[in-house]
Amino acid sequence: MPITNEGLKKEFEHVTRPGEQKHIGEGLERADSLMQELAYQLIIGGHLEVDRLTREALDNGYTANTILDDGLLNGMAIVGVKFRDNIIFVPEVLVAARAMKAGMAHVEPILSASGVPPIGTVIMGTVKGDLHDIGKNLCIMMLRGAGFVVHDLGVDTAPDEFVDAVAEHEAQLVGMSALLTTTMPNMGRTIAAFEEAGLRDEVRIMVGGAPVTQEFADEMGADGYGENAVECVDKAKELIVLLKELQGA
Amino acid sequence: MTHPDDTNPQVDPERLKASMNRLFEIYRDISTKADEVVKNRCPYKNAQSRCTANFGCRNQFFTKDQAAQPVCAGSDHIDYRSAWDI
Repeated sequence: MPITNEGLKKEFEHVTRPGEQKHIGEGLERADSLMQELAYQLIIGGHLEVDRLTREALDNGYTANTILDDGLLNGMAIVGVKFRDNIIFVPEVLVAARAMKAGMAHVEPILSASGVPPIGTVIMGTVKGDLHDIGKNLCIMMLRGAGFVVHDLGVDTAPDEFVDAVAEHEAQLVGMSALLTTTMPNMGRTIAAFEEAGLRDEVRIMVGGAPVTQEFADEMGADGYGENAVECVDKAKELIVLLKELQGA
Repeated sequence: MTHPDDTNPQVDPERLKASMNRLFEIYRDISTKADEVVKNRCPYKNAQSRCTANFGCRNQFFTKDQAAQPVCAGSDHIDYRSAWDI
């Protein structure tokens, strides 16, 4: 069916490259009115509406595949184009990612039950004394996209909060972010808290943030360092494989 | 065109794998672009040039509307990090 959702129609006007117009356009035309509205709400970051529409779709018999492809992914594809073309910026992308999470919260249990389990569970947070969260949030978006379950502890996270979250969620990975040189030492204090709690061998700890370097990560005793969100995911995948090998041995 | 599929509530794993790969590709492009953008534009500054940070910054300009996010008065040509009140 043609794009009948007025809001989505306007959003699609931002897609101007012929190849993308064809690819994304075909996806949108495959979507019915409910899926078109779901895609539109994701683009504008309406996480409450995405939550509601996804539940409605599942209640009405839509498959998880259909919801993912025709609703959520169609919307995120347009978000990606708008960001690339400087129509929107990082805050708008993260709002859309929050809406994606709201939809995926309903879809993920179905995927897990169908033999598609998450890769692993990660606890993420910005360390104590630090309120900067953009880098962490981009990492979380990427990790979720890669198939990890992520629990976000937010900013200004005390060492004990990281430890408690790992115990509560049985997480295999911890990701800590710091943007300030003054708060970077709190990464080391958090690692020490895991040692004191007797959990250090159970988890692998990754660190990142603008002032953090591989050398600093090594000095603190972190298991991994990522310079950006892509490296964060690569490192997380690597660490989870190593941890599983170790635990299986 | 999509339609409710009451007869097949199961997930198609192969289709799912392709979908997750596509999502990851979209996110990877976004992340790569973000690395480029933050070199000269504060990542907390939204498309309406409003500041979305939860911390103080000297570039925040508060308008009379107390409920509105502050306007970002920073230049995209100067290092924005030096203005963050940390």
